[in-house]
Amino acid sequence: MKNVTIFFSLLVCIFLSLIIEQFIPPLRVFGSARVDLVPIFFCYGALLLPFPFAILLAFLTGLFVDLSTLQFSGGHVEIALGWSIFFYVLFASLLQGFRPFFLRGRWEVHAFASGIYAVLFITAQFVMITFRRGGIEVSPLVISKILVPGSICFLLSPVVYFSAKMMGAMPVKRRVRQY
Amino acid sequence: MMRHLNLIIVVAVLLVAVILSTIGAGSMHALKSRFISNQAPFVEAGSAIKKKFEATTRGIKTLDQLEEENSDLITQNKELLAENQLLRGKEEENQKLREALDYLKKDPKYKLLPARIVSRDASAWWNTVKINRGFEDGVDNDMTVITETGLVGKVTTVAKNESVVLLITDENCKVAVKIAGTQELGILSGKRVQSADKPELVINYLTKNAALEPGQEVFSAGVSGGIFPPEIKLGKIQSFHTRELDGQAIVTPAVDIPNVEDVFVVMGAK
Repeated sequence: MKNVTIFFSLLVCIFLSLIIEQFIPPLRVFGSARVDLVPIFFCYGALLLPFPFAILLAFLTGLFVDLSTLQFSGGHVEIALGWSIFFYVLFASLLQGFRPFFLRGRWEVHAFASGIYAVLFITAQFVMITFRRGGIEVSPLVISKILVPGSICFLLSPVVYFSAKMMGAMPVKRRVRQY
Repeated sequence: MMRHLNLIIVVAVLLVAVILSTIGAGSMHALKSRFISNQAPFVEAGSAIKKKFEATTRGIKTLDQLEEENSDLITQNKELLAENQLLRGKEEENQKLREALDYLKKDPKYKLLPARIVSRDASAWWNTVKINRGFEDGVDNDMTVITETGLVGKVTTVAKNESVVLLITDENCKVAVKIAGTQELGILSGKRVQSADKPELVINYLTKNAALEPGQEVFSAGVSGGIFPPEIKLGKIQSFHTRELDGQAIVTPAVDIPNVEDVFVVMGAK
């Protein structure tokens, strides 16, 4: 029952994050990079929830993100619906491997996961539009647009982690089975 | 057993993702439209909160500015200064609305629908905004969006009460343009990656020996079968350089894209 509650709470947080992000202005000091909040909640869920819940969360997050970022130009879609789902599900599966560490209270796993995921996701988007539009463009501006959201996710993750812990969303420390 | 079940779940979900990626652009458009409609009440609420917040910070800024002005204009009439303090915020807003209304009255060629930008795309690589008008207001795909100073972009997705506008600063928004005072024609688009502070536009396919000077104005050419009506101002030439096969010009947009709030959707010829 607790997993279901956490799952739906995170889903609401992810949905609201997608809206809140639209009202956060670009960070002009850091090359107009944007703040990405979704990876923080997604990685938290992928690390905390059991496998089926984590995959379902990844699926829905990917779907929400895809529907938010779908771009139409001349009757065509730039990046098709579904690719984010693919990416989110793969990363959620990978994060499940780090779940035992997270359940033992290692908050830094969440922070690193969020930061790395934000960087990977934005890079993947950039690679896809580069393939689609042609011409490779790498500049300090591109790098800051990729790295800054990741760094912000990394820094904000502990806030979410400890807030959730205070609200009782964190699991009780478990004893790891000794072999 | 559990591992097999997990593997089946992952494969099933990925299969759904693959199926979703194969659906047509029309269906994707409908799904996005529905998603935007569902988000609309939250976006409207967010926009209202942001506006209130900005009004508060603008008030604080005005006081700062007034403090500075006060020291410079110490010799001026104190009564007039106090009156200015009170009226400054309201006058600015009034002026903006008056300009927009004048433009609405002045332009007899097109039917214009006033709209407000409610949110901006949070993604790193796309430049879009949402406006508070949708298909219920008669907005349709590929409609042009302008302000009293020039072109803003075109509508790419329409939901019930909101629409997504692809800004001219996006690389995917391509406009056939002409340079005032010359015979030069080219294709204008945004840059793939650019600063949000000072966006720039690029005109490609100009002739190599085009004699362009900084400050020359750029207007939409209005090609037949195109989306954008002719003679809409896009900006001013900032610089021109030749490439191997063509000439390329950098343009400063006529519209202050990062700060624009009120726009008009061109609904068609009157």
